[in-house]
Amino acid sequence: MQFAQIRDRVDAGAVTAGPIDLSPFPGMWVNSNPDTNGIARLVASESGGRLSLRVYGIGPNGLIDWGAAEARVFAGGPSSRTGAGFTCVYDFGFAETRLEGMLAKGLLVLAQFHMFKDDSGRADHFVREYFALTHGRY
Amino acid sequence: MTQTFEFRQKSHLDPALGEAGWQTLNAATLIGRWLNTDPGTRGLAELTIKKDGELFGISAIAAGASGPIEWPLTAAKALANLEEEAGQRAVALEVTFDFGFMKAAAHIRVNKGVLVIVVFHTFSDNSGRSNYVNREFFYRQV
Repeated sequence: MQFAQIRDRVDAGAVTAGPIDLSPFPGMWVNSNPDTNGIARLVASESGGRLSLRVYGIGPNGLIDWGAAEARVFAGGPSSRTGAGFTCVYDFGFAETRLEGMLAKGLLVLAQFHMFKDDSGRADHFVREYFALTHGRY
Repeated sequence: MTQTFEFRQKSHLDPALGEAGWQTLNAATLIGRWLNTDPGTRGLAELTIKKDGELFGISAIAAGASGPIEWPLTAAKALANLEEEAGQRAVALEVTFDFGFMKAAAHIRVNKGVLVIVVFHTFSDNSGRSNYVNREFFYRQV
């Protein structure tokens, strides 16, 4: 088994067959910052073993629905089968936005990479925001 | 005349995005040799970030089975980081190390003097290992 860091050397017996468990993701994730100029919330759903996201950005006149996009799911380690992060790409034509999410103690840390393709002169930029899963228990 | 831009969120219209020189602003906070805060890491032990003109390059040393494993110098893309660092415009980097059997796509930023790297590992060797994400923290070697 090849590895580029010792963490990735996994005993064959430690690797269990099967897909990554998506159960940590589904639901509505709300931005912890009510004054965000970025993403207000995202809705994650699972169907047929696949994870899809629906993102809502903050616009001048309310929420902007980015539509649904399929996400690639990542575990928390090479021998884990529990979902711990995802990546997802939205291509808007004028810009491409890549999302990289990572779960940490119930928090979704969402890194956003915004790359403009419209020659507007706007800088490609990075933003990180935090989201909590609404669970209705309290 | 007012110029109108397409957007999907308010931050796409942030006037600061039109400022020149984003990639050179405050890059000094990233340049140098960084050591993992966890001396027992089983991942990346050390990072070196260089800048040549407008180009950033990143190399790493990972913990191996019988000694360190060098991750080669790889070009990185700089992005304006809308999170300010110490009141200054900051830069974030993204880089992908490709080992053939595995790709490690990372983003890097500095927060209050701590370099944070988040790495998404994707295996393509049918080893059964899960693709995974992890985060590590580094301090600057002085």
